Amino acid sequence: MAGIFKKVYDWLLRLFWATEMDVTMIGLQNAGKTSLLRVLAGGEFTLDSIPTVGYNMKRVQKGHVTLKCWDLGGQPRFRTMWERYCRGVNAIVFIVDSADRDALPVAKDELHLLLDKPILEGIPLLVLGNKSDIEAKLSVDEIIEALDLKSISHREVSCYGISAKEETNLDAVLQWLVAKAHK
Amino acid sequence: MNYNKKDEDADTALMRIDRTTVFQQARLFNSSPIQPKACRILLTRIVFLLYKGEMFPTREATDLFFGISKLFQNKDASLRQMVHLTIKELASSAEDIIMVTSTIMKDTSGGTDAIFRPNAIRALCRIIDASTVQSIERVMKTAIVDKNPSVSSAALVSSYHLLPIARDVVKRWQSETQEAATSTKSSGGFSLGFSASSNQVTVNNSTMTQYHAIGLLYQMRMHDRMALQKMVQQFGVAGAIKNPAATVLLVRLAAQLAEQDPNLRKPMMTLLDGWLRHKSEMVNFEAAKAICDMRDVSDDEVTQAIHTLQLFLTSPRAVTKFAAIRILHNFASFKPQAVHPCNPDIELLISNTNRSIATFAITTLLKTGNEASVDRLMKTISGFMADITDEFKITIVEAIRTLCLKFPSKQAGMLAFLSGILRDEGGYEFKRSVVESMFDLIKFVPDSKEDALAHLCEFIEDCEFTKLAVRILHLLGIEGPKTSQPTKYIRYIYNRVVLENAIVRAAAVTALAKFGVGQKDPEVKRSVTVLLTRCLDDVDDEVRDRAALNLRLMGEPDELADRFIKNESSFALPYFEHQLALYVSASEKSIFDTPFDLAAIPVVTKEQADAEDRTKKLTTVTPTVKAPKAGPTKSMQSGAEAVASASAAAQKYQQELLKIPEMQAYGSVLKSSPVFDLTESETEYVVSVVKHIFKEHIVLQYEVKNTIPDTVLENVSIIATPSDEEELEEDFIIPAAKLVIDEPGTIYVSFKKVNGEGSFSASTFTNILKFTTKEIDPTTGEPEDTGYDDEYEVESVELTGSDYVIPAFAGNFNHIWEQVGASGDEEVETLQLSGVKTIVDATEQLAKTLSLQPLDGTDVPVNTTTHTLKLFGKTITGGRVVANIRLACSPKGVVTSKIVVRSEEEGVAALVIASVS
Repeated sequence: MAGIFKKVYDWLLRLFWATEMDVTMIGLQNAGKTSLLRVLAGGEFTLDSIPTVGYNMKRVQKGHVTLKCWDLGGQPRFRTMWERYCRGVNAIVFIVDSADRDALPVAKDELHLLLDKPILEGIPLLVLGNKSDIEAKLSVDEIIEALDLKSISHREVSCYGISAKEETNLDAVLQWLVAKAHK
Repeated sequence: MNYNKKDEDADTALMRIDRTTVFQQARLFNSSPIQPKACRILLTRIVFLLYKGEMFPTREATDLFFGISKLFQNKDASLRQMVHLTIKELASSAEDIIMVTSTIMKDTSGGTDAIFRPNAIRALCRIIDASTVQSIERVMKTAIVDKNPSVSSAALVSSYHLLPIARDVVKRWQSETQEAATSTKSSGGFSLGFSASSNQVTVNNSTMTQYHAIGLLYQMRMHDRMALQKMVQQFGVAGAIKNPAATVLLVRLAAQLAEQDPNLRKPMMTLLDGWLRHKSEMVNFEAAKAICDMRDVSDDEVTQAIHTLQLFLTSPRAVTKFAAIRILHNFASFKPQAVHPCNPDIELLISNTNRSIATFAITTLLKTGNEASVDRLMKTISGFMADITDEFKITIVEAIRTLCLKFPSKQAGMLAFLSGILRDEGGYEFKRSVVESMFDLIKFVPDSKEDALAHLCEFIEDCEFTKLAVRILHLLGIEGPKTSQPTKYIRYIYNRVVLENAIVRAAAVTALAKFGVGQKDPEVKRSVTVLLTRCLDDVDDEVRDRAALNLRLMGEPDELADRFIKNESSFALPYFEHQLALYVSASEKSIFDTPFDLAAIPVVTKEQADAEDRTKKLTTVTPTVKAPKAGPTKSMQSGAEAVASASAAAQKYQQELLKIPEMQAYGSVLKSSPVFDLTESETEYVVSVVKHIFKEHIVLQYEVKNTIPDTVLENVSIIATPSDEEELEEDFIIPAAKLVIDEPGTIYVSFKKVNGEGSFSASTFTNILKFTTKEIDPTTGEPEDTGYDDEYEVESVELTGSDYVIPAFAGNFNHIWEQVGASGDEEVETLQLSGVKTIVDATEQLAKTLSLQPLDGTDVPVNTTTHTLKLFGKTITGGRVVANIRLACSPKGVVTSKIVVRSEEEGVAALVIASVS
């Protein structure tokens, strides 16, 4: 019975306070963007996803907020197009593979290159260190260090360690994102 | 009702849209949440603009595209459809379109009943590039065998478009395509219940998928004759294919196979015969047409097809009648006697209310009638000429014109007919076609000249069309002086000077002058002078000027005057025009420092121009047997066509060859042979050759194509060894540096004629292709550093007498035959022609191999058992070559020929004959 009430309540909330927000998910190839999005949207985790050509778009429902998530391809040929899809979004999610140390310098360069664009000023940034289930991962602090996140100014920056495979810390991610919808 | 109203509104709204406003409105795409209906209308506008031919500049298109990409995955299925449609159209003009690949891919595999799936598939194939095709392979494979025909069709057609982009990948989808072609799915039964819902794919019972699948299969297997044969036979079985359009495709394929491979002819003919009884009319027609178009089809083979067509002639539907009579009409040009049995039915159609049908009926009758019935038909036609419109009359005049050229002996009757209708009422176009027919008669049927001229003279007495009068006067000027009684025409021409407007007067003065210049008879010359002197008082400047010029020329020695007045040569106009255009459009200023050089333009003599003209007329009015086919078919050129193409080809090659510094010293190309294939078209390396004859050199131009994927040929040269090394000495080789797959390269090998320009050396060249082959590294796409040398032997090239001969046209064969016989040498040869079964074939083949022009209409054999072929041509040095060939065909299909060749130059006759034996 309580479940029904909850549903009705949610439905009413959606009806009157429904908000839709855009979120762009970027990061180097094989960081786990597409997998993360699939898990966020309530799907199963799969290992054998193919590289994204262009982008994927999925809606994630959280309470009365609909997150429109743009999962962009991470291969070098698509990186120039990140900026176009980051314009005017509510939040940018940058995902790194926390087990792939060699890729971090490139990730740092790409991230700073993107954030230096004046048009993207003030958009909150969430950095996620994915694949935290792997032994050889970097800690959150190490990632902050490696990506030089402290130097980023004029915007809200957060960094979480997550695992799309084990579904750790995903609620925190959603909550962080939903919180941005009210601003 | 409601819908209709909406549509009307939309129509008027569509009239007012323009690019800028639409681009402004595109901001709507960025609004959140999305408004499906408004977006749909906006997308419709964009597509409307694109269809109208409006081009969005790349930046605008890209902006639009990114805007549209925000609309993906909307719940509104119609909006999704619209998005796919727009993306498909924008794909060619916007940048970074590859971005949406993943998203569209998701839509292609969406729920089985989603309405937008076909659209998504089509859009996907437009935006994909060669490198990413692989990633959609699985999607496409499942879509091809999808049980929904719309999806399957979309996937098949898209694969068809993808094939040229990524041949190897698409080729892997063969088994799926095969499955789509065989399955006769009908989704009607169970989806009926859902069809009310808007999200449903509309019920689609069509078997069109089969058509698409077979089309795709053909494209995949185009180069594999065995596979094609299997395919035709597999699907040719009754009931295997339900779709008529697909069957039509099979008919064409079968015809093509029969054409290419003589061994397949019999089985394919059986199939075609079967299709004549197919339940769809479309298939019947296609099969009948294929049989009629078949090369050297025998009377037995064609009987059934003609019979089927005959049945359609009495069909109540006009379109059926039209299709049938059209095929018969075409076929009648080649085998009139085969169409003859249909004549009673065709005669009924003459009075058909549908003009197109009636026109074809009459022209067909004109063709099928033998020489004897021509007169009767002419009478019938003159009976109703008065009742029909001009355009209809023109068609008939055209048919009669062809007839004149075909049966020169019937010219008297036809001339009478033509002059009869010339007196009738009629517009300019009609009169023009009649006059032109008479011109042709004068040109090509010498016997009719005097009569025809007389008729034309009468016509200009009362001619309301200035243009026609001028043309006739010009002709009178050219032909008149050559006739036995030139004075007769002078009277007619002078009448014009007295009575007509200035333009006609000027033309008449020029025509008059042609009688005076070079006139041997002093009496005539005197009277022309008197008449021209009177013209000096004309009120019009042009007339006075012309009269004065011509009077002056008449006073000059004849030779000089002839150069001005009777010079009948003209420049090769297409080439001339091209050169002028090049000159005028040159970007460098320095080019304009030197004036345009007229001397570089080749001059065409009157005879050459005439021959070309005649060929054109014969071939345009009676269309060639071969309809254009898909895929590479070797077009067999008839002797007559060869003439027309020879001069054009020579000029084309000339331009190419002149660009090569080594050959500039050689002078101009005297003759270029047609292209000969030295290999089969399916081999690893495809080689063909063209022989160019220069004054003192012979250049062999080899076209080599590498067909092996992932290899590069470098340093490709041809070792050509003449059998007669004493007469020909190799000058140089220009090898091709690099040959990538499927890009032809050119190699030139030049030989010097040791004995100088006058010698005609016959020789056989053995050819060996030499090259270094290198494999391409699949990862980098670059060729590897080291390769290995290889040789490849191709067939040899024959340089024969006919390579030195150019077909030429002449009016009177017998005259030349006697002339050349008196001065030159003669060779006689009797031989059986192998590989030829009919007289028609033999005529064509001989004219082609000898490279001579058939004269006196002998290129169209009248009799099927015996025929005399009269051929004429000139050697590259200008000596005349005449051939008289008697042909006899035994009932078993063995053609024997007795060839007599006469030539002005010594040794040429033997050489020319050698090119046949």
